[in-house]
Amino acid sequence: MYYPEPITKLIDSFTKLPGIGPKTAARLAFFVLEMKEDDVLDFAKSLVNAKRELTHCTVCGHITDQDPCSICSDQSRDNSVICVVQDPKDVIAMEKMKDFQGKYHVLHGTISPMEGIGPEDINVSTLIERLKDEKVEELILATNPNVEGEATAMYISRLVKPSGLRLTRIAHGLPVGGDLEYADEVTLSKALEGRRDL
Amino acid sequence: MYIKEISVENYRNYDELSLQFDNQINVIIGENAQGKTNLMEAIYVLAFTKSHRTAKDKELIKWDSNYAKIKGDVFKRNRSFPLEVIFSQKGKKAKFNHIEQKRLSDYIGALNVVMFAPEHLNLVKGSPQERRKFIDMEIGQIQPVYIYHLGQYQKILKQRNALLKDLQRQKQTDRTMLKVLTEQLIEHGSIVLKKRLQFLQKLREWATPIHDGISRGLEALTIDYEGSINVSEDTDLERIIETYTSYYDSIEDREVERGTTLAGPHRDDLIFYVNNRNVQTYGSQGQQRTTALSLKLAEIELIDQEVGEYPILLLDDVLSELDAHRQSHLLNTIQGKVQTFVTTTSVDGIHHETLKDAQIFNIHNGQLLSER
Ligand SMILES: Nc1ncnc2c1ncn2[C@@H]1O[C@H](COP(=O)(O)OP(=O)(O)OP(=O)(O)O)[C@@H](O)[C@H]1O
Ligand SMILES: [Mg+2]
Ligand SMILES: [Zn+2]
Repeated sequence: MYYPEPITKLIDSFTKLPGIGPKTAARLAFFVLEMKEDDVLDFAKSLVNAKRELTHCTVCGHITDQDPCSICSDQSRDNSVICVVQDPKDVIAMEKMKDFQGKYHVLHGTISPMEGIGPEDINVSTLIERLKDEKVEELILATNPNVEGEATAMYISRLVKPSGLRLTRIAHGLPVGGDLEYADEVTLSKALEGRRDL
Repeated sequence: MYIKEISVENYRNYDELSLQFDNQINVIIGENAQGKTNLMEAIYVLAFTKSHRTAKDKELIKWDSNYAKIKGDVFKRNRSFPLEVIFSQKGKKAKFNHIEQKRLSDYIGALNVVMFAPEHLNLVKGSPQERRKFIDMEIGQIQPVYIYHLGQYQKILKQRNALLKDLQRQKQTDRTMLKVLTEQLIEHGSIVLKKRLQFLQKLREWATPIHDGISRGLEALTIDYEGSINVSEDTDLERIIETYTSYYDSIEDREVERGTTLAGPHRDDLIFYVNNRNVQTYGSQGQQRTTALSLKLAEIELIDQEVGEYPILLLDDVLSELDAHRQSHLLNTIQGKVQTFVTTTSVDGIHHETLKDAQIFNIHNGQLLSER
Protein backbone atom coordinates (compact mmCIF):
# COMPACT_ATOMS: atom_id res chain seq x y z
CA MET A 1 0.00 0.00 0.00
CA TYR A 2 1.22 3.54 -0.77
CA TYR A 3 1.69 6.04 2.06
CA PRO A 4 3.28 9.51 1.82
CA GLU A 5 6.90 9.37 2.90
CA PRO A 6 6.58 11.05 6.35
CA ILE A 7 4.08 8.37 7.35
CA THR A 8 6.20 5.54 5.99
CA LYS A 9 9.10 6.83 8.07
CA LEU A 10 6.97 7.09 11.19
CA ILE A 11 5.65 3.54 10.66
CA ASP A 12 9.22 2.32 10.22
CA SER A 13 10.21 3.95 13.50
CA PHE A 14 7.36 2.32 15.38
CA THR A 15 8.22 -1.14 14.02
CA LYS A 16 11.64 -0.79 15.65
CA LEU A 17 9.97 -0.98 19.08
CA PRO A 18 9.65 -4.42 20.67
CA GLY A 19 6.37 -6.26 20.17
CA ILE A 20 5.12 -3.93 17.43
CA GLY A 21 4.41 -5.34 14.00
CA PRO A 22 3.62 -3.44 10.78
CA LYS A 23 -0.14 -3.36 11.43
CA THR A 24 0.12 -1.92 14.92
CA ALA A 25 2.79 0.49 13.72
CA ALA A 26 0.45 1.83 11.01
CA ARG A 27 -2.36 2.20 13.55
CA LEU A 28 -0.07 4.14 15.93
CA ALA A 29 1.24 6.33 13.11
CA PHE A 30 -2.25 7.33 12.04
CA PHE A 31 -3.15 7.99 15.65
CA VAL A 32 -0.22 10.41 15.92
CA LEU A 33 -1.61 12.32 12.94
CA GLU A 34 -4.84 12.86 14.86
CA MET A 35 -3.05 14.05 18.03
CA LYS A 36 -2.79 17.73 19.04
CA GLU A 37 0.41 19.32 17.81
CA ASP A 38 1.54 20.22 21.36
CA ASP A 39 1.17 16.66 22.53
CA VAL A 40 3.15 15.41 19.57
CA LEU A 41 5.92 17.92 20.32
CA ASP A 42 6.00 16.85 23.98
CA PHE A 43 6.17 13.24 22.95
CA ALA A 44 9.04 13.86 20.55
CA LYS A 45 10.93 15.88 23.18
CA SER A 46 10.52 13.17 25.80
CA LEU A 47 11.93 10.63 23.39
CA VAL A 48 15.00 12.72 22.65
CA ASN A 49 15.55 13.81 26.25
CA ALA A 50 15.22 10.31 27.61
CA LYS A 51 17.98 9.26 25.29
CA ARG A 52 20.22 12.32 25.71
CA GLU A 53 19.92 13.04 29.39
CA LEU A 54 20.00 9.52 30.72
CA THR A 55 23.31 7.80 31.26
CA HIS A 56 24.43 4.80 33.20
CA CYS A 57 25.46 5.28 36.81
CA THR A 58 29.22 4.70 36.97
CA VAL A 59 28.83 2.93 40.31
CA CYS A 60 25.93 0.51 39.80
CA GLY A 61 25.11 0.71 36.08
CA HIS A 62 21.47 1.72 36.59
CA ILE A 63 19.98 4.30 34.21
CA THR A 64 20.07 7.80 35.69
CA ASP A 65 20.11 11.51 34.89
CA GLN A 66 22.71 12.23 37.58
CA ASP A 67 25.89 10.34 38.34
CA PRO A 68 26.03 8.56 40.78
CA CYS A 69 22.33 7.70 40.65
CA SER A 70 19.83 8.61 43.36
CA ILE A 71 19.98 5.10 44.85
CA CYS A 72 23.77 5.04 45.05
CA SER A 73 23.88 8.51 46.60
CA ASP A 74 21.09 7.85 49.11
CA GLN A 75 22.85 7.89 52.52
CA SER A 76 19.95 6.19 54.29
CA ARG A 77 20.28 2.96 52.31
CA ASP A 78 22.06 -0.09 53.55
CA ASN A 79 25.54 -0.24 52.04
CA SER A 80 26.23 -3.74 53.21
CA VAL A 81 23.89 -5.51 50.76
CA ILE A 82 24.08 -5.40 46.96
CA CYS A 83 21.39 -6.97 44.81
CA VAL A 84 22.75 -7.98 41.40
CA VAL A 85 20.18 -7.81 38.58
CA GLN A 86 20.19 -8.18 34.80
CA ASP A 87 18.36 -5.04 33.72
CA PRO A 88 17.42 -1.52 34.86
CA LYS A 89 13.81 -2.77 34.64
CA ASP A 90 14.58 -5.23 37.43
CA VAL A 91 15.74 -2.37 39.68
CA ILE A 92 12.48 -0.56 39.01
CA ALA A 93 10.45 -3.70 39.81
CA MET A 94 12.33 -4.18 43.09
CA GLU A 95 12.04 -0.50 44.03
CA LYS A 96 8.28 -0.58 43.52
CA MET A 97 7.91 -3.18 46.20
CA LYS A 98 9.79 -0.96 48.71
CA ASP A 99 11.03 -3.92 50.73
CA PHE A 100 14.64 -3.82 49.77
CA GLN A 101 16.83 -1.23 51.47
CA GLY A 102 20.22 -2.18 50.04
CA LYS A 103 21.93 -1.16 46.82
CA TYR A 104 21.96 -2.57 43.32
CA HIS A 105 24.29 -3.60 40.60
CA VAL A 106 22.98 -3.84 37.04
CA LEU A 107 24.74 -6.32 34.74
CA HIS A 108 23.06 -5.31 31.48
CA GLY A 109 22.67 -8.85 30.26
CA THR A 110 23.80 -12.38 30.96
CA ILE A 111 26.78 -14.40 29.83
CA SER A 112 25.85 -16.37 26.71
CA PRO A 113 28.69 -17.87 24.66
CA MET A 114 26.21 -18.80 21.92
CA GLU A 115 25.47 -15.12 21.33
CA GLY A 116 29.13 -14.18 21.73
CA ILE A 117 28.51 -12.55 25.12
CA GLY A 118 31.38 -13.28 27.50
CA PRO A 119 31.97 -12.08 31.09
CA GLU A 120 33.83 -9.06 29.71
CA ASP A 121 30.72 -7.96 27.80
CA ILE A 122 28.54 -7.50 30.88
CA ASN A 123 28.99 -5.16 33.83
CA VAL A 124 30.91 -7.56 36.11
CA SER A 125 34.35 -5.99 36.46
CA THR A 126 32.95 -2.85 38.12
CA LEU A 127 31.12 -5.10 40.56
CA ILE A 128 34.40 -6.72 41.57
CA GLU A 129 35.93 -3.25 42.03
CA ARG A 130 32.98 -2.19 44.19
CA LEU A 131 33.43 -5.20 46.43
CA LYS A 132 37.02 -4.12 47.08
CA ASP A 133 36.11 -0.53 48.00
CA GLU A 134 32.72 -0.73 49.69
CA LYS A 135 32.01 -2.53 52.93
CA VAL A 136 29.71 -5.13 51.40
CA GLU A 137 28.66 -8.12 53.51
CA GLU A 138 26.08 -9.76 51.30
CA LEU A 139 25.58 -10.15 47.57
CA ILE A 140 22.10 -11.18 46.40
CA LEU A 141 22.21 -12.71 42.93
CA ALA A 142 18.83 -11.94 41.37
CA THR A 143 19.43 -12.84 37.73
CA ASN A 144 16.56 -14.56 35.93
CA PRO A 145 15.95 -18.22 36.79
CA ASN A 146 16.64 -19.49 33.28
CA VAL A 147 19.76 -21.28 32.03
CA GLU A 148 21.75 -18.11 31.24
CA GLY A 149 20.67 -16.24 34.38
CA GLU A 150 21.58 -19.23 36.50
CA ALA A 151 24.97 -19.61 34.79
CA THR A 152 25.76 -15.91 35.25
CA ALA A 153 24.90 -16.13 38.96
CA MET A 154 27.14 -19.19 39.32
CA TYR A 155 29.95 -17.40 37.49
CA ILE A 156 29.81 -14.38 39.79
CA SER A 157 29.63 -16.58 42.85
CA ARG A 158 32.81 -18.38 41.74
CA LEU A 159 34.58 -15.04 41.34
CA VAL A 160 33.64 -13.58 44.71
CA LYS A 161 33.45 -16.71 46.85
CA PRO A 162 37.12 -16.49 47.94
CA SER A 163 36.42 -13.07 49.49
CA GLY A 164 34.22 -14.80 52.07
CA LEU A 165 31.19 -12.51 51.84
CA ARG A 166 27.68 -13.93 52.10
CA LEU A 167 26.26 -14.96 48.73
CA THR A 168 22.58 -15.61 48.26
CA ARG A 169 20.44 -16.51 45.30
CA ILE A 170 16.81 -15.58 44.87
CA ALA A 171 15.23 -18.98 44.61
CA HIS A 172 11.53 -19.30 45.31
CA GLY A 173 8.33 -17.87 43.99
CA LEU A 174 9.63 -17.22 40.53
CA PRO A 175 8.35 -19.28 37.65
CA VAL A 176 11.00 -21.52 36.13
CA GLY A 177 12.12 -20.01 32.87
CA GLY A 178 10.23 -16.82 33.67
CA ASP A 179 11.47 -13.26 33.62
CA LEU A 180 11.84 -11.21 36.77
CA GLU A 181 10.27 -8.32 34.90
CA TYR A 182 6.90 -10.06 34.85
CA ALA A 183 6.96 -11.23 38.43
CA ASP A 184 4.38 -9.40 40.49
CA GLU A 185 5.37 -7.67 43.68
CA VAL A 186 4.11 -10.38 46.01
CA THR A 187 6.14 -13.11 44.36
CA LEU A 188 9.15 -10.80 44.38
CA SER A 189 8.91 -10.22 48.15
CA LYS A 190 8.58 -13.94 48.66
CA ALA A 191 11.56 -14.49 46.40
CA LEU A 192 13.60 -12.10 48.50
CA GLU A 193 12.57 -13.76 51.75
CA GLY A 194 13.31 -17.22 50.42
CA ARG A 195 16.79 -16.54 49.13
CA ARG A 196 19.27 -19.32 49.70
CA ASP A 197 22.96 -19.25 50.48
CA LEU A 198 25.32 -20.28 47.72
CA MET B 1 -7.34 -45.18 26.90
CA TYR B 2 -8.66 -44.52 23.45
CA ILE B 3 -9.43 -41.73 21.01
CA LYS B 4 -13.16 -41.32 20.41
CA GLU B 5 -12.90 -38.76 17.70
CA ILE B 6 -10.40 -36.74 15.80
CA SER B 7 -10.95 -33.71 13.59
CA VAL B 8 -8.46 -31.90 11.45
CA GLU B 9 -8.61 -28.56 9.69
CA ASN B 10 -6.20 -27.33 7.00
CA TYR B 11 -3.87 -30.09 8.01
CA ARG B 12 -1.53 -31.66 5.38
CA ASN B 13 -3.75 -32.76 2.46
CA TYR B 14 -6.97 -32.45 4.52
CA ASP B 15 -9.37 -29.49 4.32
CA GLU B 16 -11.66 -30.59 7.06
CA LEU B 17 -12.34 -34.07 8.28
CA SER B 18 -13.82 -35.58 11.39
CA LEU B 19 -13.61 -39.29 12.18
CA GLN B 20 -15.13 -41.34 14.98
CA PHE B 21 -13.15 -44.38 16.00
CA ASP B 22 -13.78 -47.80 17.37
CA ASN B 23 -12.00 -48.44 20.66
CA GLN B 24 -10.48 -51.60 19.21
CA ILE B 25 -8.99 -51.81 15.73
CA ASN B 26 -9.28 -49.13 13.06
CA VAL B 27 -7.97 -49.80 9.58
CA ILE B 28 -7.20 -46.95 7.23
CA ILE B 29 -7.13 -48.06 3.62
CA GLY B 30 -6.08 -46.01 0.63
CA GLU B 31 -3.81 -45.86 -2.38
CA ASN B 32 -0.37 -44.34 -2.06
CA ALA B 33 -0.18 -40.63 -1.26
CA GLN B 34 -3.84 -40.30 -0.23
CA GLY B 35 -3.27 -39.25 3.37
CA LYS B 36 -3.01 -42.42 5.47
CA THR B 37 0.30 -41.57 7.13
CA ASN B 38 -0.93 -38.00 7.52
CA LEU B 39 -3.79 -39.29 9.68
CA MET B 40 -1.45 -41.36 11.83
CA GLU B 41 0.80 -38.39 12.14
CA ALA B 42 -2.17 -36.28 13.30
CA ILE B 43 -2.73 -38.65 16.22
CA TYR B 44 0.98 -38.59 17.01
CA VAL B 45 1.05 -34.80 16.91
CA LEU B 46 -1.94 -34.67 19.25
CA ALA B 47 0.12 -36.64 21.76
CA PHE B 48 3.53 -34.99 21.36
CA THR B 49 2.78 -31.61 19.70
CA LYS B 50 5.29 -32.54 17.05
CA SER B 51 5.52 -34.84 14.09
CA HIS B 52 7.36 -38.15 14.02
CA ARG B 53 8.68 -37.46 10.53
CA THR B 54 9.59 -33.79 10.42
CA ALA B 55 11.04 -31.23 12.80
CA LYS B 56 9.44 -28.42 10.81
CA ASP B 57 5.98 -27.73 12.20
CA LYS B 58 5.05 -25.58 9.21
CA GLU B 59 5.00 -28.63 6.94
CA LEU B 60 1.85 -29.72 8.77
CA ILE B 61 -0.09 -26.70 7.52
CA LYS B 62 -2.01 -27.30 4.30
CA TRP B 63 -0.14 -25.64 1.48
CA ASP B 64 -2.54 -22.77 0.77
CA SER B 65 -3.52 -22.12 4.41
CA ASN B 66 -2.00 -20.16 7.23
CA TYR B 67 -2.94 -22.42 10.11
CA ALA B 68 -3.61 -26.07 10.88
CA LYS B 69 -5.74 -27.47 13.67
CA ILE B 70 -5.95 -30.96 15.13
CA LYS B 71 -8.54 -31.77 17.77
CA GLY B 72 -9.21 -35.01 19.55
CA ASP B 73 -11.48 -36.45 22.17
CA VAL B 74 -9.65 -38.82 24.44
CA PHE B 75 -11.13 -41.27 26.90
CA LYS B 76 -8.77 -42.06 29.78
CA ARG B 77 -9.28 -42.99 33.43
CA ASN B 78 -13.06 -43.11 33.04
CA ARG B 79 -13.50 -39.66 31.65
CA SER B 80 -13.12 -37.93 28.34
CA PHE B 81 -11.31 -34.72 27.63
CA PRO B 82 -10.51 -32.70 24.52
CA LEU B 83 -6.99 -32.05 23.26
CA GLU B 84 -6.14 -29.49 20.64
CA VAL B 85 -2.98 -28.47 18.82
CA ILE B 86 -2.90 -25.45 16.53
CA PHE B 87 -0.07 -24.47 14.21
CA SER B 88 0.20 -21.03 12.69
CA GLN B 89 2.86 -18.77 11.26
CA LYS B 90 3.48 -17.51 14.79
CA GLY B 91 4.11 -20.93 16.31
CA LYS B 92 2.01 -23.54 18.02
CA LYS B 93 -0.48 -23.78 20.83
CA ALA B 94 -1.51 -26.87 22.74
CA LYS B 95 -4.71 -27.03 24.75
CA PHE B 96 -5.70 -29.58 27.34
CA ASN B 97 -9.36 -29.41 28.31
CA HIS B 98 -9.69 -26.12 26.35
CA ILE B 99 -6.91 -24.51 28.39
CA GLU B 100 -3.67 -23.53 26.72
CA GLN B 101 -0.61 -25.15 28.28
CA LYS B 102 2.48 -22.99 28.21
CA ARG B 103 4.96 -25.71 29.02
CA LEU B 104 5.41 -28.79 26.90
CA SER B 105 5.81 -30.87 30.04
CA ASP B 106 2.33 -29.82 31.18
CA TYR B 107 0.75 -31.15 27.99
CA ILE B 108 2.68 -34.24 26.96
CA GLY B 109 1.55 -37.36 28.75
CA ALA B 110 -2.18 -36.60 28.52
CA LEU B 111 -2.41 -38.93 25.53
CA ASN B 112 -0.02 -41.87 25.29
CA VAL B 113 0.87 -43.11 21.84
CA VAL B 114 3.22 -45.75 20.54
CA MET B 115 4.03 -45.54 16.86
CA PHE B 116 5.41 -48.45 14.89
CA ALA B 117 6.41 -47.67 11.30
CA PRO B 118 8.82 -49.33 8.86
CA GLU B 119 11.61 -46.97 9.89
CA HIS B 120 11.44 -48.41 13.42
CA LEU B 121 12.41 -51.79 12.05
CA ASN B 122 15.70 -49.99 11.63
CA LEU B 123 15.98 -49.02 15.26
CA VAL B 124 18.70 -51.57 15.90
CA LYS B 125 20.73 -50.90 12.75
CA GLY B 126 20.08 -47.17 12.56
CA SER B 127 22.04 -44.28 14.02
CA PRO B 128 22.57 -43.80 17.78
CA GLN B 129 20.54 -40.62 17.42
CA GLU B 130 17.44 -42.65 16.47
CA ARG B 131 17.86 -44.85 19.54
CA ARG B 132 18.28 -41.81 21.77
CA LYS B 133 15.16 -40.28 20.25
CA PHE B 134 13.26 -43.50 20.90
CA ILE B 135 14.24 -43.63 24.56
CA ASP B 136 13.68 -39.87 25.09
CA MET B 137 10.17 -39.87 23.61
CA GLU B 138 9.11 -42.88 25.63
CA ILE B 139 10.39 -41.59 28.96
CA GLY B 140 8.97 -38.16 28.17
CA GLN B 141 5.43 -39.40 27.79
CA ILE B 142 5.59 -41.41 31.00
CA GLN B 143 7.45 -38.78 33.05
CA PRO B 144 6.92 -35.30 31.59
CA VAL B 145 9.50 -33.79 33.99
CA TYR B 146 12.11 -35.67 31.95
CA ILE B 147 11.34 -33.37 29.01
CA TYR B 148 12.15 -30.37 31.19
CA HIS B 149 15.56 -31.71 32.22
CA LEU B 150 16.39 -32.84 28.70
CA GLY B 151 15.44 -29.40 27.36
CA GLN B 152 17.61 -27.63 29.94
CA TYR B 153 20.44 -30.05 29.20
CA GLN B 154 20.28 -29.28 25.48
CA LYS B 155 20.29 -25.53 26.07
CA ILE B 156 23.32 -25.74 28.34
CA LEU B 157 25.05 -28.08 25.90
CA LYS B 158 24.72 -25.48 23.13
CA GLN B 159 26.21 -22.80 25.38
CA ARG B 160 29.00 -25.10 26.47
CA ASN B 161 29.88 -26.11 22.91
CA ALA B 162 29.96 -22.45 21.89
CA LEU B 163 32.31 -21.67 24.77
CA LEU B 164 34.55 -24.67 23.99
CA LYS B 165 34.84 -23.37 20.40
CA ASP B 166 35.90 -19.97 21.78
CA LEU B 167 38.47 -21.60 24.05
CA GLN B 168 39.75 -23.74 21.20
CA ARG B 169 40.28 -20.67 19.03
CA GLN B 170 41.61 -18.79 22.05
CA LYS B 171 38.92 -16.12 21.73
CA GLN B 172 38.51 -16.84 25.45
CA THR B 173 41.18 -18.06 27.81
CA ASP B 174 39.56 -18.01 31.24
CA ARG B 175 38.02 -21.37 32.13
CA THR B 176 35.84 -20.22 35.04
CA MET B 177 32.76 -20.05 32.82
CA LEU B 178 33.51 -23.52 31.47
CA LYS B 179 33.47 -24.86 35.04
CA VAL B 180 30.10 -23.19 35.59
CA LEU B 181 28.59 -24.69 32.44
CA THR B 182 30.02 -28.11 33.28
CA GLU B 183 28.36 -27.94 36.70
CA GLN B 184 25.05 -26.97 35.11
CA LEU B 185 25.35 -29.65 32.43
CA ILE B 186 25.96 -32.29 35.08
CA GLU B 187 23.02 -31.12 37.17
CA HIS B 188 20.55 -31.94 34.40
CA GLY B 189 22.59 -34.61 32.61
CA SER B 190 22.72 -36.75 35.74
CA ILE B 191 18.94 -36.73 36.06
CA VAL B 192 18.57 -37.57 32.36
CA LEU B 193 21.02 -40.45 32.72
CA LYS B 194 19.42 -41.79 35.90
CA LYS B 195 15.94 -41.73 34.37
CA ARG B 196 17.16 -43.43 31.21
CA LEU B 197 18.81 -46.21 33.20
CA GLN B 198 15.69 -46.74 35.30
CA PHE B 199 13.48 -46.78 32.21
CA LEU B 200 15.75 -49.26 30.49
CA GLN B 201 15.71 -51.53 33.50
CA LYS B 202 11.91 -51.73 33.32
CA LEU B 203 11.86 -52.02 29.53
CA ARG B 204 14.23 -54.99 29.75
CA GLU B 205 11.91 -56.79 32.14
CA TRP B 206 9.17 -56.70 29.51
CA ALA B 207 11.24 -57.01 26.34
CA THR B 208 13.15 -60.14 27.31
CA PRO B 209 10.14 -62.47 27.78
CA ILE B 210 8.36 -60.97 24.78
CA HIS B 211 11.39 -61.59 22.59
CA ASP B 212 11.61 -65.10 23.96
CA GLY B 213 7.98 -65.62 22.96
CA ILE B 214 8.31 -64.32 19.41
CA SER B 215 11.46 -66.34 18.80
CA ARG B 216 9.87 -69.44 20.35
CA GLY B 217 12.51 -69.58 23.03
CA LEU B 218 15.41 -69.57 20.59
CA GLU B 219 16.71 -66.07 21.26
CA ALA B 220 17.69 -64.39 24.51
CA LEU B 221 17.58 -60.60 24.24
CA THR B 222 19.68 -58.33 26.44
CA ILE B 223 19.93 -54.54 26.27
CA ASP B 224 22.87 -52.47 27.47
CA TYR B 225 23.20 -48.75 28.00
CA GLU B 226 26.47 -47.44 26.66
CA GLY B 227 27.41 -44.21 28.39
CA SER B 228 30.52 -42.17 29.05
CA ILE B 229 30.62 -43.10 32.72
CA ASN B 230 30.26 -46.42 34.43
CA VAL B 231 27.12 -46.35 36.57
CA SER B 232 23.96 -48.43 36.85
CA GLU B 233 20.26 -47.82 37.52
CA ASP B 234 20.96 -48.45 41.23
CA THR B 235 23.63 -45.76 41.48
CA ASP B 236 22.22 -42.82 43.42
CA LEU B 237 22.09 -39.36 41.93
CA GLU B 238 24.85 -37.94 44.16
CA ARG B 239 27.21 -40.63 43.00
CA ILE B 240 26.32 -40.06 39.34
CA ILE B 241 27.06 -36.34 39.80
CA GLU B 242 30.41 -37.13 41.42
CA THR B 243 31.35 -39.56 38.68
CA TYR B 244 30.46 -37.12 35.91
CA THR B 245 32.33 -34.33 37.73
CA SER B 246 35.60 -36.20 37.92
CA TYR B 247 35.16 -37.53 34.38
CA TYR B 248 34.63 -34.06 32.89
CA ASP B 249 37.65 -32.87 34.90
CA SER B 250 39.78 -35.55 33.31
CA ILE B 251 38.75 -34.73 29.74
CA GLU B 252 38.65 -30.93 30.02
CA ASP B 253 41.85 -30.31 28.05
CA ARG B 254 40.76 -32.70 25.34
CA GLU B 255 37.38 -30.98 25.09
CA VAL B 256 39.06 -27.59 24.69
CA GLU B 257 41.38 -29.01 22.06
CA ARG B 258 38.45 -30.47 20.11
CA GLY B 259 36.15 -27.51 20.76
CA THR B 260 33.15 -29.62 21.71
CA THR B 261 31.53 -31.58 24.54
CA LEU B 262 32.81 -35.14 24.42
CA ALA B 263 30.72 -36.84 27.10
CA GLY B 264 27.15 -36.90 28.38
CA PRO B 265 23.72 -38.35 27.60
CA HIS B 266 23.73 -36.72 24.14
CA ARG B 267 26.46 -39.15 23.07
CA ASP B 268 25.17 -42.31 24.74
CA ASP B 269 23.70 -45.30 22.96
CA LEU B 270 21.73 -48.53 23.42
CA ILE B 271 23.23 -51.86 22.46
CA PHE B 272 21.16 -54.97 21.82
CA TYR B 273 22.43 -58.52 22.16
CA VAL B 274 20.79 -61.74 21.04
CA ASN B 275 22.34 -64.84 22.60
CA ASN B 276 25.22 -62.60 23.71
CA ARG B 277 25.99 -61.37 20.22
CA ASN B 278 25.62 -57.76 19.18
CA VAL B 279 22.51 -57.61 16.99
CA GLN B 280 23.66 -54.46 15.25
CA THR B 281 26.84 -56.15 14.02
CA TYR B 282 25.86 -59.79 13.76
CA GLY B 283 22.07 -59.91 13.74
CA SER B 284 20.19 -61.13 10.69
CA GLN B 285 17.47 -58.90 9.30
CA GLY B 286 14.87 -61.13 10.92
CA GLN B 287 16.59 -60.88 14.32
CA GLN B 288 16.71 -57.11 14.01
CA ARG B 289 13.00 -57.02 13.21
CA THR B 290 12.14 -59.28 16.09
CA THR B 291 14.17 -57.03 18.38
CA ALA B 292 12.38 -53.91 17.14
CA LEU B 293 9.00 -55.63 17.55
CA SER B 294 9.87 -56.82 21.08
CA LEU B 295 10.83 -53.28 22.05
CA LYS B 296 7.58 -51.82 20.76
CA LEU B 297 5.50 -54.45 22.51
CA ALA B 298 7.51 -53.94 25.70
CA GLU B 299 6.86 -50.23 25.46
CA ILE B 300 3.11 -50.84 25.31
CA GLU B 301 3.24 -52.99 28.44
CA LEU B 302 5.50 -50.55 30.23
CA ILE B 303 3.16 -47.63 29.59
CA ASP B 304 0.31 -49.72 30.98
CA GLN B 305 2.42 -50.45 34.06
CA GLU B 306 3.42 -46.82 34.62
CA VAL B 307 0.31 -44.96 33.48
CA GLY B 308 -2.26 -47.57 34.43
CA GLU B 309 -3.75 -47.82 30.94
CA TYR B 310 -2.63 -49.09 27.58
CA PRO B 311 -1.47 -46.48 25.07
CA ILE B 312 -2.81 -46.06 21.56
CA LEU B 313 -0.88 -48.02 18.97
CA LEU B 314 -0.20 -46.68 15.49
CA LEU B 315 0.90 -49.26 12.93
CA ASP B 316 1.82 -47.38 9.78
CA ASP B 317 2.51 -49.72 6.85
CA VAL B 318 4.32 -52.03 9.18
CA LEU B 319 1.98 -55.00 9.38
CA SER B 320 2.65 -56.02 5.80
CA GLU B 321 6.38 -55.79 6.53
CA LEU B 322 6.12 -58.54 9.14
CA ASP B 323 5.80 -62.23 8.35
CA ALA B 324 2.66 -64.12 9.33
CA HIS B 325 4.15 -65.39 12.58
CA ARG B 326 5.26 -61.97 13.81
CA GLN B 327 2.00 -60.43 12.60
CA SER B 328 -0.11 -62.76 14.65
CA HIS B 329 2.15 -62.36 17.65
CA LEU B 330 1.63 -58.64 17.46
CA LEU B 331 -2.12 -58.82 16.89
CA ASN B 332 -2.62 -61.40 19.62
CA THR B 333 -0.82 -59.21 22.12
CA ILE B 334 -2.93 -56.15 21.46
CA GLN B 335 -6.22 -57.92 20.95
CA GLY B 336 -8.99 -56.50 23.08
CA LYS B 337 -6.79 -54.18 25.12
CA VAL B 338 -5.12 -51.65 22.87
CA GLN B 339 -6.86 -49.24 20.53
CA THR B 340 -4.93 -49.70 17.31
CA PHE B 341 -4.71 -47.86 14.01
CA VAL B 342 -3.48 -49.78 11.00
CA THR B 343 -2.75 -48.31 7.58
CA THR B 344 -2.49 -50.37 4.45
CA THR B 345 -3.05 -50.10 0.71
CA SER B 346 -5.12 -53.27 0.81
CA VAL B 347 -6.19 -55.84 3.38
CA ASP B 348 -4.85 -58.66 1.20
CA GLY B 349 -1.46 -58.85 2.89
CA ILE B 350 -3.00 -59.02 6.33
CA HIS B 351 -4.33 -62.36 7.47
CA HIS B 352 -5.82 -62.25 10.87
CA GLU B 353 -9.08 -62.82 12.61
CA THR B 354 -8.99 -59.48 14.42
CA LEU B 355 -9.17 -57.49 11.23
CA LYS B 356 -12.56 -58.97 10.42
CA ASP B 357 -14.29 -56.95 13.12
CA ALA B 358 -12.25 -53.83 12.54
CA GLN B 359 -13.70 -50.47 11.67
CA ILE B 360 -12.54 -49.66 8.15
CA PHE B 361 -12.00 -46.18 6.71
CA ASN B 362 -11.42 -45.67 3.00
CA ILE B 363 -9.33 -42.60 2.36
CA HIS B 364 -8.91 -40.90 -1.00
CA ASN B 365 -7.21 -37.59 -1.63
CA GLY B 366 -7.70 -36.23 1.85
CA GLN B 367 -11.34 -37.30 2.01
CA LEU B 368 -13.30 -40.12 3.55
CA LEU B 369 -14.81 -42.27 0.77
CA SER B 370 -16.57 -44.81 2.90
CA GLU B 371 -16.67 -46.28 6.34
CA ARG B 372 -17.76 -49.63 7.65
N1 LIG C 1 1.32 -29.49 3.90
C1 LIG C 1 0.68 -30.20 2.96
N2 LIG C 1 -0.35 -29.65 2.28
C2 LIG C 1 -1.00 -30.34 1.32
N3 LIG C 1 -0.72 -31.61 0.97
C3 LIG C 1 0.29 -32.21 1.63
C4 LIG C 1 1.03 -31.55 2.64
N4 LIG C 1 1.97 -32.39 3.12
C5 LIG C 1 1.82 -33.54 2.42
N5 LIG C 1 0.82 -33.45 1.52
C6 LIG C 1 0.36 -34.47 0.57
O1 LIG C 1 -0.09 -35.58 1.30
C7 LIG C 1 0.13 -36.74 0.52
C8 LIG C 1 0.88 -37.79 1.32
O2 LIG C 1 0.08 -38.29 2.24
P1 LIG C 1 0.55 -39.52 3.11
O3 LIG C 1 1.99 -39.43 3.42
O4 LIG C 1 -0.40 -39.59 4.23
O5 LIG C 1 0.35 -40.69 2.08
P2 LIG C 1 -0.03 -42.19 2.38
O6 LIG C 1 -1.48 -42.35 2.14
O7 LIG C 1 0.49 -42.60 3.69
O8 LIG C 1 0.77 -42.90 1.19
P3 LIG C 1 1.73 -44.18 1.20
O9 LIG C 1 0.83 -45.35 1.02
O10 LIG C 1 2.57 -43.95 0.02
O11 LIG C 1 2.49 -44.19 2.48
C9 LIG C 1 0.99 -36.37 -0.64
O12 LIG C 1 0.19 -36.35 -1.79
C10 LIG C 1 1.49 -35.00 -0.29
O13 LIG C 1 1.68 -34.23 -1.42
MG1 LIG D 1 2.22 -43.65 4.29
ZN1 LIG E 1 23.98 3.85 40.98
